[in-house]
Amino acid sequence: MTTATNLRTVPLVRRYLTFTWLVLGLAVLIMIVAAIAQPSIVVDTLVTGGMWALLAGGLALIFGVMNIPNFAHGELFLIGSLVGFTVFSPIQDAILENPDAALLKVVGPFPGMIAAALVGAAVGVGLEVLLFRPLRKRSRDQWVMNTFLLTAGVSVLLVNMDRLVIGNDFRGITRYWDVPPIRLLDVSISVDRAMVFIIALITIALFSLFLQRTRVGRAMRAVAQDEAGAQMAGIDLKRIFMLTIGLSSGLASLAGAALLFMFPSYPDVGLQPLYLAWYVVILAGLGNVQGAIAGAFIVSLLQTLTVFYVGVGWVDVLPTGFIILILLFKPSGLFGSAVKGIWEQ
Amino acid sequence: MAILEISGVTKRFGGLTAVDNVTFSVEANEIFGLIGPNGAGKTTLLSCLAGDLRPNGGTVRLDGRDTTGLPADRMCRLGVGRTFQIPRPFPHMSVFDNVVVAAAFGDPKIQRDQVARRALDMIEYVEFPRPVTTLASHLNAAQLKRLDLARALASGPRLLLLDELAAGLTPGELTSIATLLRRIRGDGVTIVMVEHVMRLIMELCDRLSVLHYGELIAHGDAATVARDDLVREAYLGQSYIL
Repeated sequence: MTTATNLRTVPLVRRYLTFTWLVLGLAVLIMIVAAIAQPSIVVDTLVTGGMWALLAGGLALIFGVMNIPNFAHGELFLIGSLVGFTVFSPIQDAILENPDAALLKVVGPFPGMIAAALVGAAVGVGLEVLLFRPLRKRSRDQWVMNTFLLTAGVSVLLVNMDRLVIGNDFRGITRYWDVPPIRLLDVSISVDRAMVFIIALITIALFSLFLQRTRVGRAMRAVAQDEAGAQMAGIDLKRIFMLTIGLSSGLASLAGAALLFMFPSYPDVGLQPLYLAWYVVILAGLGNVQGAIAGAFIVSLLQTLTVFYVGVGWVDVLPTGFIILILLFKPSGLFGSAVKGIWEQ
Repeated sequence: MAILEISGVTKRFGGLTAVDNVTFSVEANEIFGLIGPNGAGKTTLLSCLAGDLRPNGGTVRLDGRDTTGLPADRMCRLGVGRTFQIPRPFPHMSVFDNVVVAAAFGDPKIQRDQVARRALDMIEYVEFPRPVTTLASHLNAAQLKRLDLARALASGPRLLLLDELAAGLTPGELTSIATLLRRIRGDGVTIVMVEHVMRLIMELCDRLSVLHYGELIAHGDAATVARDDLVREAYLGQSYIL
């Protein structure tokens, strides 16, 4: 970087930083006010925010490391919900037959979620091996555009395959844990929603720790920052790419299975989560994983406030409008993008 | 014994032949200089040796084993370290993380619990002047060169390819880099250096090769090559006095 650009960017960076903190501070303030006035807003924000964070974190990761704008991310949510439903249904029947089996009641929902994460990861790796690797070998020209078209095509293909093979109807459950809701500060929280929040929290914490502390996590960040440089430091790109797409896909599928009680499985189920995850990633800054996790909670706060004070019909309108407003002031996203040079490649 | 033997290496970009049928060998534990005017193909040749580019023809042998066209990560794990003309660290990582990545992935023999130790040792070895937690994007040019060198060394190379390490350094830094390179060679590492700073070349290199428009025009021990008329004309300019 030359001195001239340095001089120009420093005050800009400072202004953006304060703007970011302004938005964050505002969000926290609203949360505090809401906690006093309407505690259920806080609960709703945290529960849905946790899940958007799983989706958006994965989306940001795959864009950051592999430069793939994944428009098939929603279909991994779909695959997760399908696997979750398929595995949980017989377990649910078993629970209904033996209402006294306490252990089964408590751990019953987990096999479906774990299976969903594993199947999702496998599908992700499959996409890498069958589609992205051959494309990468052939040409890296127009990579972002080509992979965008490729993933959009995969999305259409998977949605319609689901429609054709599995059928065009809803497969859902009313609840995972058949126990009375928890009461906390005058709000009753269903155990399902509380558990989903805890699952999201643990997964996000492990995910962040993995990226920051482990050697493979460091390698992923290295590849995101400079692919050729990382390869020359001895990193096998093939393995990192497979891990990245597997992790990202696994998280999306886990979200799909965990939210089965809110989003029953049907062919288009991935559409809304996909758009939301993209809102979050654009809001946070393309490829910025930590920003995406924070952004997920901001978007879910906006959604919850809209539902509460304006009406369910506006749930996609107002948050989107707000994101457009933020981007007008800060085009590179709230937290800036750690990914450089994608558009130059 | 020759650690690196290249024969007939050719690299073309479309119609342009950047490296044309270059043959030489580098003996174990020597410092080998590669000089030539701008655009002579030095960096391209280095990239072919490091696995960053795949040569169109010819063979590259490392320790007698054919390594032509192996990818850069394989070359790195086989013991070839490299620095860049414009250092390219991972900008959003600390100095420590930058070197840790190279130590953890560049050396297949390293034990997991040795990685952090090795990284810190290498940062100290290159006399890195700032705290290891500094973000790489906050470093100046000379510090970036040292970081690049520490990264290359962290993968435990037997052969080190240096691309204009001295470019843009002050005379004081030049002296300390020269001392450092001698020390690296003393520790048993073979060095191939592309360089424009003649003072450093004449001071360090045992042998020299001169590239001109992708072709090798002279080859031999440093003093002889520098006296070669062809070389003077092509590269140093007729009036250049050594």
